[in-house]
Amino acid sequence: MSSTMGTHAWTRIETPAPPGATATLRAEWVKFWTVRSTPWSLGAMFVLGAGLTTLVCALSAEALARGDVGEPVGAFVTWGIVFAQVTAVVLGALVVTSEYGTGMIRATLAATPQRSAVLAAKAAVLTSTLFVAGTLTALAGYLGGNWFLDREGIGLALTDDGVLRSILGSGLYMAGLGLFAAAVGLLVRHTAAALAVVLGLVFVVGNLVMVLPGAWGEWATKLMPGNAGSSIATPESFNPLLLDPWVGFAVFVAETAAVLAVAAVVFTRRDA
Amino acid sequence: MIAAHRLTKTYGTRTAVDGVGFTVEPGRVTGFLGPNGAGKSTTMRMVLGLDRPTSGSVTVNGRRYADHPAPLREVGALLEASALHPGRSARDHLRWLAASNGIPRTRVDEVLDLVGLTAVADQRVGRFSLGMGQRLGIAAALIGDPPVVVLDEPVNGLDPEGIRWVRTLARDLAAEGRTVFVSSHLMSEVALTADHLIVIGRGRVLADCATAEFVAQHAASHVRVRSPQHDAVATLLRGEGLDVAAHGRELRVVGLDAAAVGELVGRSGLLLHELTLVRSSLEDAFMTLTADSVEYAGATR
Repeated sequence: MSSTMGTHAWTRIETPAPPGATATLRAEWVKFWTVRSTPWSLGAMFVLGAGLTTLVCALSAEALARGDVGEPVGAFVTWGIVFAQVTAVVLGALVVTSEYGTGMIRATLAATPQRSAVLAAKAAVLTSTLFVAGTLTALAGYLGGNWFLDREGIGLALTDDGVLRSILGSGLYMAGLGLFAAAVGLLVRHTAAALAVVLGLVFVVGNLVMVLPGAWGEWATKLMPGNAGSSIATPESFNPLLLDPWVGFAVFVAETAAVLAVAAVVFTRRDA
Repeated sequence: MIAAHRLTKTYGTRTAVDGVGFTVEPGRVTGFLGPNGAGKSTTMRMVLGLDRPTSGSVTVNGRRYADHPAPLREVGALLEASALHPGRSARDHLRWLAASNGIPRTRVDEVLDLVGLTAVADQRVGRFSLGMGQRLGIAAALIGDPPVVVLDEPVNGLDPEGIRWVRTLARDLAAEGRTVFVSSHLMSEVALTADHLIVIGRGRVLADCATAEFVAQHAASHVRVRSPQHDAVATLLRGEGLDVAAHGRELRVVGLDAAAVGELVGRSGLLLHELTLVRSSLEDAFMTLTADSVEYAGATR
């Protein structure tokens, strides 16, 4: 048995060469793509995002063309993103909380004691994947939905105001939302709790604050993360109250960065 | 080599590890023994840099764990078997570990083979038995071919064949010159594997010595004597200044070995029906030593 044990490294004099700068990133990449939740989440994002956009455009194209709807056409070409964002939240939370749920986090931190490196690698893998997936989802939804709008003569060109921005913006918003969920996951270390907090903030609290009276309600609505961040993902919003796309996204990025900073401090200090 | 110096960990008002100091030397198996809640796992987590000591320090090969650029190539650790994602395959689990420390991918197949999991390498580990999970944990510990191997309760959940396999593995690793540190709450298990023992209870080191020395010191023994001339034998032995207790038709003699007792009785012409050296079990010795430091004891004790 001892002959298969290895290369007798324990007799070595020199320290082994440090692994390359990308080692942690590669480890997180392998981890990310070797659990079923990743393809399932991304598949669900595509089906919900592209499918629902296509469906709602197909169903409302005629009414939109007649001018019966009273909503801007631009609000429809990325319509499904509102639902697809749930999958970004789930994936972002799971990237962190599944490690706490299974005890894997101890294996991770034993392999890479530099916790900031672990966090950076997780964030890079998650956001790059979500950006690509969100962009492709929005693009497919636009192509599918716009085909029906074109038939009614009200289609939007990619070069029309805000269309390309909303497609890339869908990717950006997914990436940001996933990172927000991961940061919350790092703080609460529990899948159900992380999902409840983030989905509650985006879907429930984000809409409830609209009923607050006066300027309070208006600004709370503008600044809630889901509301601020999502306006970049649509050429024109159903809700005229929201911040301008890039302004809103900047607010959302700042909010995400703040939660992530707190999570990073807690993560690097607490026992695994 | 692992060196702990006045290592202390407190959680609120509870002190889990209390000024523990020891060194774990290469080339032998060191058993880390203590009842549940004695502080074994907390100590091991501090060795691996997972928990931060409240005070004191612990180093592996002269450096803090976190200061090693590729820690898996320095220290291999089996943590609790559940430190796995149930949806990931055994091979993928080892792949990410290898990637994280710049270990060649060929090593993944080597360690799978070493622990006998090659045939099930692509199955999700959620379907693994407890024993297969332990084997995968040991594969993970060996992936970096490390000079120091730390195994936390490695035989938990293993069948007898698996237990023997772990014992052999630990001894082989030590024979190759590695430092092997094995925790257990089972004295009998450790006594069979370890050359050296560190016993802790309530967060303190109670003993730190060779296993043989521990056995000699703590496992009490007596000679059981049966004779048709029961009273005469008892009187003779007491006359020699020995401590003799009568238990029914048997005498328990403390202070001489069986041969010496036999000669004494034989010289006086008395008859013997039985002469046996009785050792109390190591488990008993361990219980005696740690009796005061058991955190949760049954009401009947």
